[in-house]
Amino acid sequence: MSNSLTLAPAPRSEAAEQVRAEVREFLAAELAAGTFRTHVDTWLSGVDPAFSKKLGERGWLGMTWPKRYGGHERSAMERYAVTEELLAAGAPVAAHWIADRQSGPNLLTYGTEKQREEILPRIVAGECFFVIGMSEPDSGSDLASIRTRAMRNGDGDWVVNGAKVWTSNAHHSHYGIVLVRTSPADPSSRHAGMSQLLVDLSLPGISINPIRILDGGHHFNEVVFEDVVVPGDMLLGEEGNGWHQVTAELAFERSGPERFLSTYPLVAEFGRRVAETGDPGQLAALGRLSARLLALRQMSLRIAAALDRGELPNIPAALVKDVGTTFEADVVEEVRKVVDVTPSLDSPDPLARALAEAQLHQPGFTLRGGTNEILRGIVARGLGLR
Amino acid sequence: MASDQDLVVGTVKDILSGFEPFVLTAERRWDAGLWSALGDAGLTGVGLPEEAGGSGGELADAVAIVRTLAAGAAAVPVAEQLLVAGPALVAADLELPSPEEPTTFAVADAVTVHPVDNGDGPGRFTLSGTVADVAWAGAARHVVVLAPAPAGMEGAVLALVDASSLPAGDAFNLAGEPRGSLVLDQVGTSGALLTVGQADEVRARYALARAVQMAAALEQVLAWTVQYAGERHQFGRPLGKFQAIQMELAEMAGEVTAVTALTDAAVQSLDRAENVVPAAAAAKVRAGAAVEVVARLAHQVHGAIGFTQEHKLHHLTRRLWSWRDEAGSELVWSRVLASGLLAGGPDELWPALTRAV
Repeated sequence: MSNSLTLAPAPRSEAAEQVRAEVREFLAAELAAGTFRTHVDTWLSGVDPAFSKKLGERGWLGMTWPKRYGGHERSAMERYAVTEELLAAGAPVAAHWIADRQSGPNLLTYGTEKQREEILPRIVAGECFFVIGMSEPDSGSDLASIRTRAMRNGDGDWVVNGAKVWTSNAHHSHYGIVLVRTSPADPSSRHAGMSQLLVDLSLPGISINPIRILDGGHHFNEVVFEDVVVPGDMLLGEEGNGWHQVTAELAFERSGPERFLSTYPLVAEFGRRVAETGDPGQLAALGRLSARLLALRQMSLRIAAALDRGELPNIPAALVKDVGTTFEADVVEEVRKVVDVTPSLDSPDPLARALAEAQLHQPGFTLRGGTNEILRGIVARGLGLR
Repeated sequence: MASDQDLVVGTVKDILSGFEPFVLTAERRWDAGLWSALGDAGLTGVGLPEEAGGSGGELADAVAIVRTLAAGAAAVPVAEQLLVAGPALVAADLELPSPEEPTTFAVADAVTVHPVDNGDGPGRFTLSGTVADVAWAGAARHVVVLAPAPAGMEGAVLALVDASSLPAGDAFNLAGEPRGSLVLDQVGTSGALLTVGQADEVRARYALARAVQMAAALEQVLAWTVQYAGERHQFGRPLGKFQAIQMELAEMAGEVTAVTALTDAAVQSLDRAENVVPAAAAAKVRAGAAVEVVARLAHQVHGAIGFTQEHKLHHLTRRLWSWRDEAGSELVWSRVLASGLLAGGPDELWPALTRAV
């Protein structure tokens, strides 16, 4: 198989198992104290700034970042264990998720010293939240077709006009990393002329309009920019290098355990049901789901280990996300094939509730962060077909 | 990716290049010539300790040999000998037959075992009954049998049966690999009593051996299919330039990568001498599930030629369709996996998953 798809096995990490146990203990205490309730897909829908702050106090945000920015200089394998435990418990992690996963690493790679010093310690503390400003009303999978523009004014500041969509939790966030056109579109070089801006979402001229998802939840927004003046020093990285920078984020965005654990709380409820019934058909279904999940853990761990080696394995990350999101979506069908249960958000039966939540969130899994069709195109390139 | 196993893999590939895969029949049910060549090179004892008569080397070397031979559709009982029968004998302190004499493995739930004390001390048993589904029946000289313990005793008996004079029934898997029965009538053997846990481990090793073979065969099928999609032209361009075909090949790659990652991890857990049952069960189930996708799409991309014995594809797809249900079917192992994961209680599924592999 092509080397670009193959990664070395992940080594065992004792440090990761240590922190895993600490997180597990913390979550059990929080659940017992009733500070949160388990839900499906909480990295989209579970916004709880107080919970994020607690994680910050424990040292579980910005875990891999340098200490001089408040980080903890721990390994990607340790961070993997922490995020995995939080997701498996269905904990409310949405507020800080994007900042911790990709905005912070993006700032570390491309930010100025001032940007890093100002913002990273606040992310680490669980007090500063980010949104991704990539998709637009007319630009989904074809990201290079974006039209949001930023033009320099006489003061050297950027004047931004346009709109971004699917910006998860913009109404709770402080900053967006916004991909904009800083030069007119050039048909002969589609990826040229784009830049990333670090935009304070409280600036005048920004309006944030809710877009409700299938279960009625308000997580998505349309963020509209009307003559928004962004200070000149809030350019992130290099002018014109936006496409490359966006691509570099993707190994972080596409490979983590949130790409296969969004419906784990449903699997857990299903497991409780199987333990109760002992039904052989249900047992087999749980075994099949578990085998898929265990394979995904190994795939995702390999990426974490590669990140620890300083690699940016974008193609394997695309592959993990394709396989992982397919799995987390399939959980719904696998469960309902073997359990006689009617999904309902207000059912007294936790399995019926988890099934309902998972069903209504399911279409998003294989879309967000790059559709599975786009991902398979990237994998095909890894196979040497493009 | 360079690895410590490159040398042994190269040696196996060199030997294999002289032995093309062929259509197995009742008359030609295995590749005796290839077996001799591998034996002459000392490759049929790799991973088994030298003091027991093996060739020494690491488990990783044995796995690499099994993988290379599986990808080459080699009709020899190397997976059974190097990964199951040999290690089980060594672990039970039983004498290892010469590695040059093919030794296979079979689970014999329908065989009854009686202990005998004929003056040679303990460790002698007589076995009676039919051993079904014996891999390489009629080709293997010895069969390591895992049979229920004698009445009134816990666990199982691992016994080494000389199969050279036993007639093998004619039964074959979907690839024509012999899977006949052996009838034992008061056969006296040396053996060892295993605990329930030890017997479970042996069964799990057998399942993992098939998973390792499947992982290698799946990778090879993907490689063949990618290559074919690059060579075959329709509508004026290679198949691989069509987006519909690219989506299929990417889906295959996802399945193959998942199987490889999990199987490698399960092999490592074997090397760490952990309880291998959950890891082996998961690897077997995951590999089996990938067979449906990978074999279906490989045949779809290859078109009609892949549906014939003129093309090599069938050597691996027919094996894959068989291997996924051998050494315990996907159904059996998925239940074993789930039962094990729930053993700690209904709220302990997640901790069990993080410990499983």
